[in-house]
Amino acid sequence: MSYGSTIKVPLGPQHPALKEPGNFLFEVDGETVVDVKPRIGYNHRGVEKAFELRTYIQNIYLAERICGICSDAHTTCYTQAIEELLGVEAPPRARYIRVIIAELERIQSHALWVGIAAHEIGFDTLFMYVWRDRETVLDLFEMISGNRIHYAMNTIGGVRRDIHAAMVPKIKKGLDFLEKRLKYYLDVVQTEQTILKRAAGVGVLKPKDAVDLCALGPTLRASGINNDVRADDPYAAYDEVPFNVITHDGCDVSSRMLVRCEEMLESIKAIGYALDHMPEGVIRVRVPMKVPKGEVVSRVEAPRGELIHYAKSNGTTKPERYKVRSPTLGNIPALCKMLLGGYVADIPIVLAGIDPCFSCMDRMAFVDVKKNKGWNWTMQQLRRKYAKK
Amino acid sequence: MEKENEIVKKLKNFLKENLVRTTVPKERRIFVYIKKDALKDAVKYLVKDLEFKHLSTITGVDLGGKIEVIYHMAYKGSIVLSIRLTVSEKNPSVPTITDLIPGAVLYEREVHDLFGVNFEGHPDLSPLVLPEGWPQGVYPLRKEHKLEHLREMTSKK
Repeated sequence: MSYGSTIKVPLGPQHPALKEPGNFLFEVDGETVVDVKPRIGYNHRGVEKAFELRTYIQNIYLAERICGICSDAHTTCYTQAIEELLGVEAPPRARYIRVIIAELERIQSHALWVGIAAHEIGFDTLFMYVWRDRETVLDLFEMISGNRIHYAMNTIGGVRRDIHAAMVPKIKKGLDFLEKRLKYYLDVVQTEQTILKRAAGVGVLKPKDAVDLCALGPTLRASGINNDVRADDPYAAYDEVPFNVITHDGCDVSSRMLVRCEEMLESIKAIGYALDHMPEGVIRVRVPMKVPKGEVVSRVEAPRGELIHYAKSNGTTKPERYKVRSPTLGNIPALCKMLLGGYVADIPIVLAGIDPCFSCMDRMAFVDVKKNKGWNWTMQQLRRKYAKK
Repeated sequence: MEKENEIVKKLKNFLKENLVRTTVPKERRIFVYIKKDALKDAVKYLVKDLEFKHLSTITGVDLGGKIEVIYHMAYKGSIVLSIRLTVSEKNPSVPTITDLIPGAVLYEREVHDLFGVNFEGHPDLSPLVLPEGWPQGVYPLRKEHKLEHLREMTSKK
């Protein structure tokens, strides 16, 4: 019902419904959202400027740290851009390892999301279960790379660590366990009333709006549009590894859950295929420090959607310009559309519906790191301080 | 590369002298250099007739004295066509394309924040990514701003 007048309700930057800082100014008429204005930038670290000040090798580590959840997507995008500028190609085995890591990452990211979505609708039992099972993937990452989160697998010219024969049965065992659990969760999100009552018909994004507002990834695919960089613009070994692009046409939060759950099952199949068909050979080629003049547009399907990097080199060891556009920024206009006309109570789950990752999105401007005390350490000072220990 | 060359040919026929040059560095990548005044027509043609409905992002590049604005558009998700134009650093202004592609709204604001490009006709160019109290007229991704300079500026209270 309409009350004939509206009030403005700010949400964030610090708010229990947001896992990272972002600000949304809602205009509400009674319980209905009539307008929403996003304000982002609370996580800005000046990454794009920082890219220009570091060498190509240092930038691998910077790209890794754009995001904590989809770190591999960023380094894949970065390394394949620089490889193209250098005119080298990653060896076939490295391209398969990139697929395996990317798909494992997709599973952990989507599982993380299913947990958060369950939490946002007050279904904490599911949240606990999914996150427990997600640990399987993180343990596999630890076995392969030594790290649970920043796996640091990619380097310019290939990958840094091999997947040895002894690891393969362990990965497969983990995936078998996950497959069973994921099938169960797929059933839960389709039949459990707790979820259906909160997710079905909520946060609707019609296919036409999704295209007009340039939505990406699972958000776009849940509006019935078949669009996946892995299939449309294949990179790494995606032209050889078979997988299905999942779409659903419910256009609501429920469809977004289904798309992500089914995508995880597809990822498991793709990893199984890649493990069985991995070519033998070296995992990386040596590359020069200096990158010849040129420019390149590089795309990757990150867990949250299309990730695009633009690199421009000037013939030195540092890039002239490096642009990163993460999927979350691309989904914000679509998110605002979904929130309009919805209830205030549905804001958290609709917001979570696009799987927002603010640290990916906010990477460009400058934040004063000094707080009120005026000191700043350079890399050299840090090295001097800690290298001796 | 047939599809790519066909798209380039169609664009050449449509834009005529407004098209400066094109490059097709590899499969599924096209770069098109156009004159500033032709932007609206070119984008309209790409969206309506050539089905480049998706705008991936807008990139700004400081060329020294000039700013280049690059629109990365995608054809049904596969071919990326980067349409690019340059504007002077003193008076950088480009017509908005938000009426043709509503999804451009935040990308234009982002380029406005960081490079100071004025998108004429944009509904709201208020700061999107820069912190509150950021000095007016300072566009951090321009090359004239060194890191130390920006640090000094942001630490002043």
